[in-house]
Amino acid sequence: MGRMSADVRYSLHQATLDNGLRVIINPDSSVPVVAVNLWYDVGSRDERPGRTGLAHLFEHLMFEGSAQVAAGEHLAAVQGVGGSANATTWFDRTNYFETVPTGALDLALWLEAERLATLEVTQHNLDTQRDVVLEEKRQRYDNVPYGDVLIHLVELTFPAEHPYGHPTIGSMDDLAAATLADAHRFFATHYVPNNAVLTLVGDVEPADALRRVAASFGQLARGNHVARAETPPLPPLTGVPRREVSAAVPADAVYLTWRLPPRDTVAFDAVELALAVLGDGQTSRLHRRLVRTDTIAEGAGASATGMIGGNSIGFAHARALPQVSADELEAAIVDELDRLRDRGPSADEVDRAKAQYERAWLGELARFDSRADLFSGYATLHGDPDAVNRRLDDVRSLTVDAVAQAASTILDPAQRAVLTYRKVTS
Amino acid sequence: MKRPVIAPPRPWTFPAPRTARLDNGLAVQAFHRPGQHLINATLVLDLPLHTEPPDSEGVSAVLQRCLDEGTATHPGTEYAERLENCGAVLGAGISYAATHVSLEVPSTRFAAALPLFAEAVTEPTLDDADVRRHVALRLAEIEQQRAHPVHRGAEAFRAAVIAGEFRAARPVAGSASTVEGISTEKVRARYHAQYGPARGTLVLAGDFGSDPLPLVAQAFGGWHRPAAKAVAEQPGAGAQQVLLIDRPGAVQADVRLGSFGIDRTDARWPALRLGAFVLGGGFLSRLNRVLREERGYTYGVQLTNVPARHGGLLAVHASFRTDVAAAAIAEARELIRVDGERAISADELAGAVNYLIGITPLRCATAAGITDQVAALIEAGLDADFVNRHAAQLQRVTPDEATAAISDLLPPDGLTLVVVGDAEALAEPLRAQGLDPTVVTERSGAGLSDPSA
Repeated sequence: MGRMSADVRYSLHQATLDNGLRVIINPDSSVPVVAVNLWYDVGSRDERPGRTGLAHLFEHLMFEGSAQVAAGEHLAAVQGVGGSANATTWFDRTNYFETVPTGALDLALWLEAERLATLEVTQHNLDTQRDVVLEEKRQRYDNVPYGDVLIHLVELTFPAEHPYGHPTIGSMDDLAAATLADAHRFFATHYVPNNAVLTLVGDVEPADALRRVAASFGQLARGNHVARAETPPLPPLTGVPRREVSAAVPADAVYLTWRLPPRDTVAFDAVELALAVLGDGQTSRLHRRLVRTDTIAEGAGASATGMIGGNSIGFAHARALPQVSADELEAAIVDELDRLRDRGPSADEVDRAKAQYERAWLGELARFDSRADLFSGYATLHGDPDAVNRRLDDVRSLTVDAVAQAASTILDPAQRAVLTYRKVTS
Repeated sequence: MKRPVIAPPRPWTFPAPRTARLDNGLAVQAFHRPGQHLINATLVLDLPLHTEPPDSEGVSAVLQRCLDEGTATHPGTEYAERLENCGAVLGAGISYAATHVSLEVPSTRFAAALPLFAEAVTEPTLDDADVRRHVALRLAEIEQQRAHPVHRGAEAFRAAVIAGEFRAARPVAGSASTVEGISTEKVRARYHAQYGPARGTLVLAGDFGSDPLPLVAQAFGGWHRPAAKAVAEQPGAGAQQVLLIDRPGAVQADVRLGSFGIDRTDARWPALRLGAFVLGGGFLSRLNRVLREERGYTYGVQLTNVPARHGGLLAVHASFRTDVAAAAIAEARELIRVDGERAISADELAGAVNYLIGITPLRCATAAGITDQVAALIEAGLDADFVNRHAAQLQRVTPDEATAAISDLLPPDGLTLVVVGDAEALAEPLRAQGLDPTVVTERSGAGLSDPSA
């Protein structure tokens, strides 16, 4: 029998420009396309009290023009050469990315360097993009059932003043209060070459690509960037904090959270596999119990979201079938947690969780854009993009005992928080 | 630094598959893609939904959802365990013309997973408990979708622009009243009548260490089930309507303004795709530039253009905050006018051509990208080379042709409007814009496809 696990490694060419910009190049000529990915080491965890949502609002402003680029032209110019571009903001980062036909690499690099050098934020742009962000919040959080779930969960899991204690979208009052001076200060503080990682994946020759990067970014000055203070890990939750939301949702639902270790530590990887055994896929314990056997839920699952600043978050959730209450769902989840913690997962379950991890990981590596994002992310958060090449080995090497231990110590129901949606019929 | 000059893109063509046909009639197309370590295999079965019994519409969807709940060889959850042990996952999709079942698996375990994939299609047990559970889950899903403005709007728009006598006017996975009528017998009868190798094409893509065709023949060659040839329904357009679906207290209005469109076989298809990009595809499209970037009315507005086997759906789609929604709709209707001075320009067209041609290799870079594209074409009765022919056609479209396609297919004053939002706040402003909406409330909601109800 052949090897049952993929051995996938990508060649990486790394350099650091004089201004501190870290550059990673992974050549791949399978299609005539190159992905450009730029991580700035700034996310909602860096926002000051009273200015939540600023990192994300600022991401919008980055598309509003610079000395030689008109408002909105960044995206239009990339689309106009047959490429795509976008950006996202999260707790731990803000990333900007373009995927373009190879011949347009210089354009993508120039657009990124140009806005880093000469971004122009005006009161008009700020006001319009504030409106757009408010519409984004209405569309994604306020106008859909359970849309506010992440807001409640981070507030339940972390203290308000903690870097992860507020959601990336921020508070509407804070957004309304954001000034032009705030935006300028945010730009000057965080948007400097020495606080960024640039990755290229695709149809390029490394030395040539590095020359092009240097030609675009090399003349930018290093900024006065101050490293953020380390966030110490929080102890586990105590006292089972609860929040109940009565809303016009179609069915009751329950969400449990835990404070987990920071991402890509042995302890985090082990608890992530434990959560997969609990709630990833059709054979997971929660699906079998709540959906298949007891038929009390229309869906149930568990997962981990890795974060770097002291703690990550673990989730378990279920959505009720008609006539079933959130309390029944919660009792069933807790019962399954107890079983998992008492007897541990089987070797078969852990192997399955690893196999599924491998598929998901290969899926991220398959696309140039998501592969580039992984390299930027590991370089930014862990200081080592080559960790991407070792990732599957790291996960494969976890033992059943390590997963059992993580389940038992970390996924203690006494250390959970609980969010409950109760259906209100209007 | 000055804006750089762009080098022309390296020529790219959609790859040609290795094709074969098994003795049982199953067509196979394989795309070897070095470096793609996830294999994707998608089986496309011609399976038109208009042949579903009217009292159990949704039976095809329930059937499809039961396929991985156990097979003759691996009954019950043993099936899913085996599959997930391979690091594999099954996916499924269903349209009014075809059912798709797909496998995604690391290349190292493809040989182990392919026979399991075949089992789900060729020997599902379709147990009574599984069928009943999936019926209950579908009923719950209908409630979830009703509560979601985007689903609600999509369903209502479909029901409005396609004439009510056609299956395509109604939800693909059935409505509450028809799903309740789905029994295990009906699911099994549907399976026996409709699933067969002669109706199917298996598309595979990824980094195959060795020729995948012998594995395919081994896994699927024993499948012998005659299924009558399928002919898809040709739906027609419904009458113009203005519907306001009440979602009390909603902070935004989900808006669709559009018509029954065309499919890929229509001579106007390349021109329509380009015109739709100019109006509502790009970030600085005519619609998004004004309604998002200048006015801040919305997080984004698109002109969506979705082809089906026969016909398609064409609509301006956005969520606008309630207090500006009526004004935004009126302005959107002006922004899609392409008469006189507002005709699509050569520059706009050139940008659209660049985008649509340039984006294709990017989308087809992965195994899943290839199989998704090819499966969509097979469902439409087209071959993979359509991608290349279409790219050539895009380059020949003139601004006049793009303008004509938009003005023919998206006549601003002849469009159907579906708004899902707070009716109390929206009705009056809509009337002030000269629109006279039929208000659909929760109680009258059962008559969605019949606005006179």
